[in-house]
Amino acid sequence: MRVLAAEASKLVSLPSAWIAMAAGVLVPSVIAAITASSALDAISRGAKTAAGVDTGYQELAFGVVGVIVLGVVGVSSEYFTESAESGGGRQITTSLTAVPSRLRLLLAKMSAIAVVSALLAIVAAAATMGAVRVALGEHAPALGAEDIARLAGVVCYWVYTALLACGVTVLTRHGVVPLALLITNTSVVSVTYLLTKITTLANYLPDMAGVRMFIPKLGGDSVEMSPLTGGLVMTAWVTALLPIAAIAFTRRDA
Amino acid sequence: MSVITIENLVKRRGSADILTGVGFQARPGRVTGFLGPNGAGKSSTLRILLGLDRATSGTALIGSVPFVRLPDPLRTVGAMLDGSGAHRARTGRAHLRWVARSAGLPRARVDEVLEVVGLTNAASKRVGGYSLGMGRRLGLAAALLGDPETLVLDEPVNGLDPEGIRWMRTFLRERAASGRTVLLSSHLMGELAETVDDVVIINRGRVVADGTLEEITGSHRTLEDAYFALTTGGAR
Amino acid sequence: MTTVPAPPVRTRGREAAQALTAELSKLVSLPATWLTAGGALAVNLILTIAFTAAGLRGSTGTKSALDVGLASIGYAQAGFVVLGVLAACSEYTGGQIRTTLTAMPRRALQFTAKQLAVAIVVLPAAAITAASGVMLTAGALGDTATPVTSGHVAGTLSGVTAYLVLTTSISVAVGVLVRQTLAAVVVLLGYLFVAGPLLRDHAAAAKYLPDSAGSAMWFPVAGNSDAVTPAHGALLLTAWTVVLIAVALLGYRRRDM
Repeated sequence: MRVLAAEASKLVSLPSAWIAMAAGVLVPSVIAAITASSALDAISRGAKTAAGVDTGYQELAFGVVGVIVLGVVGVSSEYFTESAESGGGRQITTSLTAVPSRLRLLLAKMSAIAVVSALLAIVAAAATMGAVRVALGEHAPALGAEDIARLAGVVCYWVYTALLACGVTVLTRHGVVPLALLITNTSVVSVTYLLTKITTLANYLPDMAGVRMFIPKLGGDSVEMSPLTGGLVMTAWVTALLPIAAIAFTRRDA
Repeated sequence: MSVITIENLVKRRGSADILTGVGFQARPGRVTGFLGPNGAGKSSTLRILLGLDRATSGTALIGSVPFVRLPDPLRTVGAMLDGSGAHRARTGRAHLRWVARSAGLPRARVDEVLEVVGLTNAASKRVGGYSLGMGRRLGLAAALLGDPETLVLDEPVNGLDPEGIRWMRTFLRERAASGRTVLLSSHLMGELAETVDDVVIINRGRVVADGTLEEITGSHRTLEDAYFALTTGGAR
Repeated sequence: MTTVPAPPVRTRGREAAQALTAELSKLVSLPATWLTAGGALAVNLILTIAFTAAGLRGSTGTKSALDVGLASIGYAQAGFVVLGVLAACSEYTGGQIRTTLTAMPRRALQFTAKQLAVAIVVLPAAAITAASGVMLTAGALGDTATPVTSGHVAGTLSGVTAYLVLTTSISVAVGVLVRQTLAAVVVLLGYLFVAGPLLRDHAAAAKYLPDSAGSAMWFPVAGNSDAVTPAHGALLLTAWTVVLIAVALLGYRRRDM
């Protein structure tokens, strides 16, 4: 428990973590507000009858870039080598001497990232949905019971994505490659989405499956997957990657 | 010609006074030691001398020219600063090669300086795998590439083993004896006393003593005693 | 012992040439340069295969080997962006920036040499990446591909190559400004893949942004009179690059290192 508190305080003391968190909340809510007001425009012109059922949720799908940065930086900051004048050290040596059990350290770190990501997801979801309601006014779709389930899906997606980013960074020990690959994949037309056009197997990639937890019907002729299935597939990816990362972390030289 | 002249250097960063009127000279044929506690301003002074930092006011000249206006800096002044000064993914040789190219120096020169500092065997290995001492020697090798008249070294024996320390001392004394200028900073009193001819003591951003080793040691038993007397005895 | 010949006073021209060879030597001896360029090529080929497979099944809108073959460049450019950032930010590892600036104290000259060295290395890499994608697609589509004139092919490939070189130059400038590898990568890729596309969807003026204008150089939006033409796109992207380089240089010259 103390180790968890230590890891959490390490995480929130990183300036880059705060920037990532701000981005995670601002990006979806601001974009959602813009999209919603142009939808309102279209409705008042008569071009549309109602705002889309996915309003707000689409934007929360890209907001995940904030937790990706959080997950990567939370780990890569341990491996960042200080300049020679400051002794050329790395935080990982301090961390490992403070908490000799590597597994405990890694579990604490991942838990801290998961908790912060979950909180961030909740704040971002509230901000985004709020922005949509404000922008659309009376035309806003009513929040019902299914929305609770969908928002839970958003939180789950964000937490899982952060853990996957974290796990990959444990394996690479630096942040550049994980960040480059993961941010490139967060684009509107992500690499994984393109791959689904080639083979339906790509629908079982973690982000494609995971997004089904709150956007069950992706556009086009994509495979239909229930939110539950999507959640299970993403859980499978996380439970496969994290032990591999844990084994690598506990076995190798720091 | 290769006198280092520093006059009235002032550096302010925000509300902190880092240097408040530092001035001294380092002459050819002599080893000048720049001594002071941590945070006194030694590195700042050397960085301003080498054009890395900007002074708020004052001048720092090599000969009669500021470093950034030297037509051929690598052949005029050799600088050995912190660490190895090299990226950890390159090999020692690859690092020295690009530095040599920047001054149009022949490739053979790289192998020569590697020989002088004793890194020939490690030259093909990545700098990231170098020990602290090896990294420092690589830094010195880069400084020696152009066979410069003047050497500026920031804590040169930091990280060297006893053999390396003795080697460095002999090397620097030989260079001074051949008429060149050597300016080094340190906070290791005993070692400095064996190496230098002139001493400049800096404390809290200003020079508190400037003279030959004998003058500064004066009536104290050792340079160390003189240093503490000057820096803690309210010498302002 | 090779005596170091005492040369005549070095001219600025000589100095510039030597700075360029030094920066080239630095770039070529950095493993990351090859890894990122190779990565961009590999990603491009993999995605080209994906797009070509889609093209063969008819699910892409076009059957032109050029359009299908270049569709993946939008993603592969991430590799070049990382190359540029690393070329700039690797100076700050191990204190190398101090070695660089004591060997080459005239910062504007050194910075220009670095930009030029990156452009020299990226030009062939970009050309190879673009051309290999198109050739792969052309080979796979065979006779089903829409015929294109070789002039059009040459023009488009030049456009892609120029786009990638300028984008890498922008990445170097941002890397110099920010000095931290991760921050520069997040800002640039976050803009290219998340912020940029979203802005394009919602603001008409977004077509003048560097990546949008730049992509007009090789993926012109057809049939829209408002759209940026390839020539205008080239001018806009060049202007953006020059401005960002100038801003980076201003900070670089005055900064304490």
